[in-house]
Amino acid sequence: MQKDNSALVYEDHFHLSNNDILKILNIALSYGGDFSEIFLEYKIYNFINMEEDIIKETAESIYLGLGIRVISGEKTGYGYTSNLSFNKIKKAAIAAASIASKHSVRNSNSLIPLKLKNNYYPVLKPSNKESLEKKISIVKKTYLSAKKYGSKIKKVKVSFMDQIQHITIVNSEGLMISDVRPLIKLTCLSIAEKSKRKEMGFSGGGGRVGLEYFKNNFTPEEIGKEASKEALTLLDAANPPAGEMPVVLAPGHSGVLIHEAVGHLLEADFIRKKTSIFWNKMGKKVGNEQVNIYDDPTIPYFRGSYNIDDEGTIPNKTLLIQKGKQTGLLQDRLSAKSLNMPLTGNGRREDFTCLPIPRMSNTYIDKGEYAPEEIIKSVKRGFYAHKYQGGQVEDSGKFTFSVSSGFLIEDGKLSTPVKQATLIGTNIDILNKIEMVGSDLKFGLQTGTCGKEGQAAAVTDGCPTIKITKMTVGGLK
Amino acid sequence: MNEKKESSVLSEIANNLVAFGRMQGADEIEVAIIESSEFNVDVRFGEIENLVEAGSRALSFRVIKDKKTAIATSSDLTMETLQTLVKNAVKRSTLGNPDECAGLPALYKTKIDIASLKLFDPEISKLESEKKILLAKETEKIALDEKKITNSHGASFETIKIKIALANSNGFLKEYDETYCTLGIGLQAGDTDNKAEGFWSCSKRFLKELESPEIIARKAVERTLRQLNPRKIKTQNVPVIFEPMMTSWLLAFLFSCISGISIYQKTSFLVDKLGEKIGNKNVTVYDDGLIPRKIGSRPFDSEGVPVSKNTVIERGILKNYLCNTYAARKLKLKSTGNADANSVGPNNFYLQPGKTSPEEIIASTKRGLLLTRTIGHGLNPVTGDISRGAFGLWIEDGKIAYPVSEITISGNLGVILNEIELVGNDLEFRSSFSGPTIKIKELTVAGK
Repeated sequence: MQKDNSALVYEDHFHLSNNDILKILNIALSYGGDFSEIFLEYKIYNFINMEEDIIKETAESIYLGLGIRVISGEKTGYGYTSNLSFNKIKKAAIAAASIASKHSVRNSNSLIPLKLKNNYYPVLKPSNKESLEKKISIVKKTYLSAKKYGSKIKKVKVSFMDQIQHITIVNSEGLMISDVRPLIKLTCLSIAEKSKRKEMGFSGGGGRVGLEYFKNNFTPEEIGKEASKEALTLLDAANPPAGEMPVVLAPGHSGVLIHEAVGHLLEADFIRKKTSIFWNKMGKKVGNEQVNIYDDPTIPYFRGSYNIDDEGTIPNKTLLIQKGKQTGLLQDRLSAKSLNMPLTGNGRREDFTCLPIPRMSNTYIDKGEYAPEEIIKSVKRGFYAHKYQGGQVEDSGKFTFSVSSGFLIEDGKLSTPVKQATLIGTNIDILNKIEMVGSDLKFGLQTGTCGKEGQAAAVTDGCPTIKITKMTVGGLK
Repeated sequence: MNEKKESSVLSEIANNLVAFGRMQGADEIEVAIIESSEFNVDVRFGEIENLVEAGSRALSFRVIKDKKTAIATSSDLTMETLQTLVKNAVKRSTLGNPDECAGLPALYKTKIDIASLKLFDPEISKLESEKKILLAKETEKIALDEKKITNSHGASFETIKIKIALANSNGFLKEYDETYCTLGIGLQAGDTDNKAEGFWSCSKRFLKELESPEIIARKAVERTLRQLNPRKIKTQNVPVIFEPMMTSWLLAFLFSCISGISIYQKTSFLVDKLGEKIGNKNVTVYDDGLIPRKIGSRPFDSEGVPVSKNTVIERGILKNYLCNTYAARKLKLKSTGNADANSVGPNNFYLQPGKTSPEEIIASTKRGLLLTRTIGHGLNPVTGDISRGAFGLWIEDGKIAYPVSEITISGNLGVILNEIELVGNDLEFRSSFSGPTIKIKELTVAGK
């Protein structure tokens, strides 16, 4: 169980009593809104950057503010402020309140503080309590490991970020709940050079962890090595092929495909608005029956995990696709109410200036029964997608994902390394063309950030080795 | 002094913090404060979905001590917090390594004329909420009148008012106000399993320069319907025509490759190319922060360096890298007034237009692709490689024949700059990156 020190933070930084909170919730309801909510946030963020063999800069940031939301039917009003004088807060509450225009006004009379039942990130010592020297030493180890990997490594850049986000959510239904979320991210970028050709490699790690992660899970040395290794491999990489061919997705990083091709379009705002290709597919077959897809915010220490979502809902693991049938959606309060479905705990927001919207957390395609070697062996000529820069989808289901490194498959074996290719497809078509699902479920790097409507959210994706019968590979002819 | 009189409480906070930083032992300190107020309404099927009205402040500073840099930002502007952050930063700077190039720019003598840039529209604050909501509603209503439109992502209208104050220990102290307004809409056509999507929006500093709801709705409808019922095409190498929005996207990638930071970090394929031919004679690119009323204009950059008009590429010859003070010192160049927070950003970065109309460019193409939208990542500044998912219209015998989708385009920026065959006459400044229609000799378009 987590020590409940959040109440303290919130009194310290917001200087608001329970009575003040109730007063603000009621001002927000004064135009006849159905629901009002206050999101209070205090976040400390640290940053270290090393390049050209020196610690170039360090940074410290403080985010303090609150957002007030009022829902009236399907309309939402929102006001936020970083100025915490009662007058400014009141102004934000009235800005949000004015979305409603009803005569009957309800009032909120009590708050019931809720304690968290589970803590998915029981970090022994949060990183903001660790010395800067210790963090700098991790950065330097990563840097040196990457730099000394080979004489062709010409440049290395290492960044370390850590933050602690304290949030409290109160609403007119009486909810009052807090969470303290740690987050660490270490990234390493290496550039290798050979006879004027340059290539880039990347690696990183982190999560909702403490610094012990870099001892127990993924050491700075391994992170540096992995980035440089990729850069060196790409020095000898060929241009990608172009056209339709069988594609095998490497385990782990390829989870970005599931994130783009499936996850986004099961976010319930797109379903409610009927803009997603999935809006009328609930219970219907949308893919091969080997395909099972989950979104799970409760995986311990993962970057995409949280004890409560940003609307104060305790999250669940959601089965999105079961044996190829669509079975679940990712909900926030507004969409769940509109669709008359249960909450899943996927209402997330970047910070107090943002409205919560349905988002993914840790999304993955579950393991199947094929051995990974068997999958590669089954392909005579095809493309093996190994690492990615990211992906994008639109509501029609058309998506791309950008492969930074891969291999050609020839006669059932990985052959020439290949650089920079784009895979493109339409989601339901690709889900149906998933021919083999491997037994080797892995998660990608704990460094991923997903963007939606201008809001960033920490996420992870996972998948086992997967074979897609046919997919368009965008390369050079 | 007139200027002093106009300076607000923001300048005062900034100036006080500069003094405090010096007192705490910082050799140099720079403080920036941004105060903004935002109004945003999203309307969908005639009803308001979201209405956001809010104000916020953010302060950022950097201190330099013994050539070591520490930076900080805060949305909490109470003096107690800010002073603690400054003390922390001075202490933290001792843990960094000295960097000869670190530090603030010297005070420039150039006269900065804020008023003539026309960055602020007083009409925006006067516009009533009802009228703002109506603009979004009107736009959507006009678009939905077209029966082939089957769904709406909604229409949005947004206004932003910003005050920026900057002070540093070399004696710089100035502030300016600016406004933006944006009206836009997203649409869908076709049935659930065969949807086409289209968007259009317009951003300006002045309300009366904004495109009307009619124009925005019509443009969004046209862009959506023309992608309906796409075909898949065979993989082939063909000429590709970039619409102005796509040229702007290409220019944004070019910018990341000529930014002084990518150059000194050697993460660009254009390292050590100053004065060399990197494109053909059709390629002339400027960055100009002094064009009145434009989105990318500003009196001085985030370090207080006055902006100017810089030639980036002149008839194919690379003339300038765009730098902040740090990148300039690393490269032994001068800052070009492109500092943007701790990085380098564009002012108005644009490709000089040519004489050919977009219609003529299409008519000149026997067989090729008119690129209308790309999705995904797939840009590598280190190599110049481009690989993106794409949407477009297929051209046969100089005419638009049918829409295509599920294709990718692949090429290399270094090659593209040498293969721009035609440059259109249709330059409009719609964002910080602007370009006219261009025709590229050949790119790989992958499909079936």
